[in-house]
Amino acid sequence: MSEILLEGLSCQFGASTAVDAIDLAVETGEFLTLLGPSGCGKTTTLRMIAGLQQSSGGRISIGGEVVSDSARGFFMAPERRRLGMVFQSYAIWPHMTVFDNVAYPLRIRRRPAAEIKESVARALRLVEMEAYAERPAPALSGGQQQRVAIARALVFEPRVLLLDEPLSNLDARLRMQTGDEFRALQKRLGITSIYVTHDQSEAMSLSDRIVVMHGGKILQIGAPESIYHQPQSLAVAKFFGTPNALQATVRAALRLPNGQVELEVAGEGFAGTCRAAAEMPVGQKISIVMRPEQMRFCSGDGLAEGLRWTGEVMESIFRGPYRSYKVQTPSGVILVDCAGLAAPVAGERVTIETDGRAGWALPC
Amino acid sequence: MSMPAKADQGWRMPSPRALGVTALVLFLGFLTIYPFGMLLYGSLHSTPPGMAGEFNLEGYREAFNAANFRILLVTVEIALAKTIPSLLLAILLAWIVARTDTPWRGKLEVLISLPFFIPPILTAMAWAMLGNPQVGLLNTLWKSMTGATVSPINIYSFGGVVWHMIQYSTPFLFLFIVDIFRAMDPALEESSRMCGASSWRTFRSITLLLMTPALTNAFILSFIRGMENFESPLFFGTPAKITVVTTEIYNSIHHHATPDYQYATAISFLVMMLMLAMVFVQWRILSGRSFQTVTGKGYSPSVMKLGRWRWVTFAFCILFFIVTVVMPVAQLLIGSFFKFFGFYQADMLTLEHYEAVWSSSEIWRGFTNTMWLGLMGASATMALGGVVAYISVRTQWRGRRLIDALAWLPWMMPGMVLGIGFLWAFAMLPGPIPIYGTIWALLLAYIALGTPVSVRVMSSAYAQLSYDLEECSRVHGATFMQTLWRILVALAWPSFAVGWVLTFFGIMRELSASVLLYAVGSEVLSVVLMKLWANGQAEQVSVIGLFMMLLVILFRWVQLRFLNSRFGQA
Ligand SMILES: Nc1ncnc2c1ncn2[C@@H]1O[C@H](COP(=O)(O)OP(=O)(O)O)[C@@H](O)[C@H]1O
Ligand SMILES: [Mg+2]
Repeated sequence: MSEILLEGLSCQFGASTAVDAIDLAVETGEFLTLLGPSGCGKTTTLRMIAGLQQSSGGRISIGGEVVSDSARGFFMAPERRRLGMVFQSYAIWPHMTVFDNVAYPLRIRRRPAAEIKESVARALRLVEMEAYAERPAPALSGGQQQRVAIARALVFEPRVLLLDEPLSNLDARLRMQTGDEFRALQKRLGITSIYVTHDQSEAMSLSDRIVVMHGGKILQIGAPESIYHQPQSLAVAKFFGTPNALQATVRAALRLPNGQVELEVAGEGFAGTCRAAAEMPVGQKISIVMRPEQMRFCSGDGLAEGLRWTGEVMESIFRGPYRSYKVQTPSGVILVDCAGLAAPVAGERVTIETDGRAGWALPC
Repeated sequence: MSMPAKADQGWRMPSPRALGVTALVLFLGFLTIYPFGMLLYGSLHSTPPGMAGEFNLEGYREAFNAANFRILLVTVEIALAKTIPSLLLAILLAWIVARTDTPWRGKLEVLISLPFFIPPILTAMAWAMLGNPQVGLLNTLWKSMTGATVSPINIYSFGGVVWHMIQYSTPFLFLFIVDIFRAMDPALEESSRMCGASSWRTFRSITLLLMTPALTNAFILSFIRGMENFESPLFFGTPAKITVVTTEIYNSIHHHATPDYQYATAISFLVMMLMLAMVFVQWRILSGRSFQTVTGKGYSPSVMKLGRWRWVTFAFCILFFIVTVVMPVAQLLIGSFFKFFGFYQADMLTLEHYEAVWSSSEIWRGFTNTMWLGLMGASATMALGGVVAYISVRTQWRGRRLIDALAWLPWMMPGMVLGIGFLWAFAMLPGPIPIYGTIWALLLAYIALGTPVSVRVMSSAYAQLSYDLEECSRVHGATFMQTLWRILVALAWPSFAVGWVLTFFGIMRELSASVLLYAVGSEVLSVVLMKLWANGQAEQVSVIGLFMMLLVILFRWVQLRFLNSRFGQA
């Protein structure tokens, strides 16, 4: 069953359209991430679900119940939607202690004091902040405020948790650790979560599914790996790193048992096989997308599968875990990310190849 | 200023900077420490300023008595009675303007804040005519409409004093609070909604509580201003035998057979001490009690949709504007066209008051003086404020704290008290410095009164400019003075202009110091108005009042139109 359903949801600010008729179904217990560049409408979408922003078109249902329907002019107030939310600025109230902050949703619901005490303690234990209960909120660090915000959003056992870039105000090291901890917590509680971020690595490592957004529209929905390896468009591919994209023509197509299609392709100075989502007619022009880390240097002529080029190393940059190379080939410049001690130097002639499964064809 | 490495290097020429700082300290000292110090001197001196006398404690003996204790109580009572409703009203108006979808909120904001810029003496006179128990327009209208024989309104009463003050403190507090509403991080409220709280509950337990420190500050500020108020008790309290501290000082000089300077000065000194104590208490209450609720995020908090109620809130704001601005202006307009105040019949229509005002040399002199003082005073005050703020915010120079403190001293000092201080200060100057009784006396008093605000305006302007700009300019070869001129003046001028207009308004409305320091030939408009009023020429007062209103509205329009900053830092 889908916990949250968005149907043709739109939001207009004056003449500009922030969110443009998106459809989305979020499954129960799922960790779904809205990913996209800044200004693409992620926050607006989240706020419409929360009820903090009125949609200008479309419908929202939560747990099978319609909570907002622009056509009927019906908008359920945010406090009646029973959603937990963590804000980018955390929005911890500075005039209260940590305990009071977390107890607030329960006090609103007039729970007995003993129950409040117990629930707050449990929520604070979940985020490992039980030692800080009596601290005044302004005396917390960014990471601690973030934990309190999560505890406050969880304490009243909401149906869904909404998070708007909750890690963006933390420093890099803390960001990764907190993210992993939060993902573990989410799995343990099994709470449906919608998470907004512009950081692709964060989205990759946390999500069950990722929704890639751009300009108020959804470009692709899918599991992190399929979005990364089998993008539906060049725009999605380019959102994750700097892929190589080479022009080629389809020579033959063969459907594989796993549903994908193997294409035989030929381009300027190379020929070989790659994969595609659907069959393509012979003669069709395509772009082949290849990740730099899927390319490798090879010595002689060995395998028949895949694609291969020869060229000259133009640039070689040490990046710690690996090296980035720019290789000039007859087909164009190809980027190669490669670990290893035997590093070709600039000016050296090299042969590069990639596996037959690593090239991904997109119609262009 | 670097100290010589060894003492035996002997005397060196002080650096230009040291000379400049010293000169500034001396000038500020002359404007603040000197007059305040002279209060103590004068309060112990048995004769009026400039006459030979002896030193004794007569002044304080007179000051400490039961009657004066009652006066102090009444003053506090009035200040409280006006601050509490003003604060509630201001919160409501600010909420309507900042947080609801009431139509034309931007325009309403300008209208609601307008009374703040109108000299209180004008509305005081207008309300004296509106609410006069015998012939006041409101009373006659009411009587003719209902057939009643008793007047419902008597403006000459405790209620009248409070009512007039409310008209000023509400826009003052409104300006203060509307900015707090706007600057608050919307997520602080939205997260409360997400926790299940209704919007009303959110307003009570989050918004208001977050604003408490700022509201406390506003409350104390407004309360202190209420204690210093002069116009309202003078116009509405004195006829009803209600005396407050300021009018007591004024009366003891102007309405006793022989002016009792020693007594007036002693009270002034005590008031000064009281004000210092209150500012100290305010500082103690508030230090460390302010919440960081401001964000740098672009979008302002979302507004509440009121549905049909938004016309009610709209009407409420308009009503406030009508009562505080339109009604007094209408009264002045009507008053100016009829032969006698209170007799409004068609055959009494006349333009003779306009002619009289036009041909009165005294009124023209007052107008010229006010304009001259306004232009000179505002420019000098802002220049001084700009330099003081620069030195205290942007440099590490020795003496900067002293400069800052000296410039801050008149903050929260009633004009009346500073006026008495200057009276002594100028009178005690050696003979060849002829300030006493000239227009320069007023100019210096206005500068002293305006400097604390100008320093604050300019400090916040400088604080917003990044140090990088300045350092970058130095690195690229500009000298200190070039840097100051190019970068700071060029970038800080909008604040300078806003502060200038604010100071100009301040000078135009000033009455309590002016009325002590003017002499024949150096009367300002507010003093001329008061004299005319005292002579019973309410009709000419109306003409001048209308004219000053126009001036205020014109300036305000220029400020809003061209300075692109809503209010400056009032
Ligand atoms: N309250 C608002 N008023 C006007 N425009 C807005 C408002 N909120 C967002 N926008 C605009 O809508 C677009 C999407 O914004 P947002 O959802 O915040 O983007 P994201 O969270 O993906 O960075 C942006 O172009 C932004 O300028
Ligand atoms: Mg956002």
